Amino acid sequence: MSAPPDAEVIGRSLVEPEAFGLIYDRHAATLLRFLGRRVGAEVAEALIGELFRIAFERRTTFDVSRASALPWLYGIGANLLLKHRRAEARRLRASARLAADEAPTRRASAGALDARLLFPRVADAIDALPDEERAALLLFAWEDLSYQGVAEVLALPIGTVRSRLNRARTQLREQLEPSGKKRERPR
Amino acid sequence: MRPLDLAKRLRRDAAFEPAALERGKAVLMAAIRQAAEPRRRPTIIPQVPYQDIGAALTFLDRAFGFREIRTSRLVSGDGVIHHALVEFGDGVIGIGTQGAHGAISPRTGGGTSQYLSVHVEDVDAHYRRALTAGARIASEPHNEGSVRAYEALDLEGHRWRFLHQPTLETR
Repeated sequence: MSAPPDAEVIGRSLVEPEAFGLIYDRHAATLLRFLGRRVGAEVAEALIGELFRIAFERRTTFDVSRASALPWLYGIGANLLLKHRRAEARRLRASARLAADEAPTRRASAGALDARLLFPRVADAIDALPDEERAALLLFAWEDLSYQGVAEVLALPIGTVRSRLNRARTQLREQLEPSGKKRERPR
Repeated sequence: MRPLDLAKRLRRDAAFEPAALERGKAVLMAAIRQAAEPRRRPTIIPQVPYQDIGAALTFLDRAFGFREIRTSRLVSGDGVIHHALVEFGDGVIGIGTQGAHGAISPRTGGGTSQYLSVHVEDVDAHYRRALTAGARIASEPHNEGSVRAYEALDLEGHRWRFLHQPTLETR
């Protein structure tokens, strides 16, 4: 007998709430890693139970025409992360230091900034993105989701995802130009 | 290097404690069990008036072990709590704003028109907890035949009688 799809498990959990535990068993590790990349182990560990508690309480809103619950769970996680901006900024800065230390040469590429300057600027630039652009960018770049995948997570049309990612890229590029040209942007 | 590739270079996996997933699952399963439990309410719910509901909820929890029923809280737009239910064993009381429904806190009225009896398993342990949390003791633990009891006043002067009666099963 093949395992029932998530949609079926969630449907069953409406009358047998304990069935929702299986959704945790299937996806919690993926989401814990996702949260960990964004806010670090400590905050992620505190959030993972919360994420699934919220999912459980909102399970009637899950679109059962989707086989997998993963995009929906990512979406709930992305929302939770908005309340932990400080932890996220801290982790970005720490990751930037590590990336700089690991850079094989001091310069990431010819004519580019020194890695020790470059990566902190990348971190600052990501941190300065509007929430919805940062969410789309990091789902795409860190979670290896396709445009379609990001669109499902954020419940957006794929065209909107494409334009958000383009805006995010443009902003990163502007922030990283060695001339240091920075566009003032309203937050 | 392209901006996206640079962003990818900042991707770091966090190092988790091995038990992290189990703890998360415990949080979920507790929420599931709570939701699955049929909500039973006693037929009679005493409504106890306080001047400061938030302070009362904290005190009743710390001193007497009364737990707020999380879904029951009524809060106005300015963040003031107007009413909440707390439970202890199979008993429930309402904690309401004084003045509503004509009920007055002893702190305002200067006296009580009733006291509340609560059955507990261990009167002396309960007494020590209440004392530590700052309850005023109106009557030290004592025996009344086979019944052991003490009485305390809460932060606004409501009088509580905690007792253990061996012939009664408490929950």
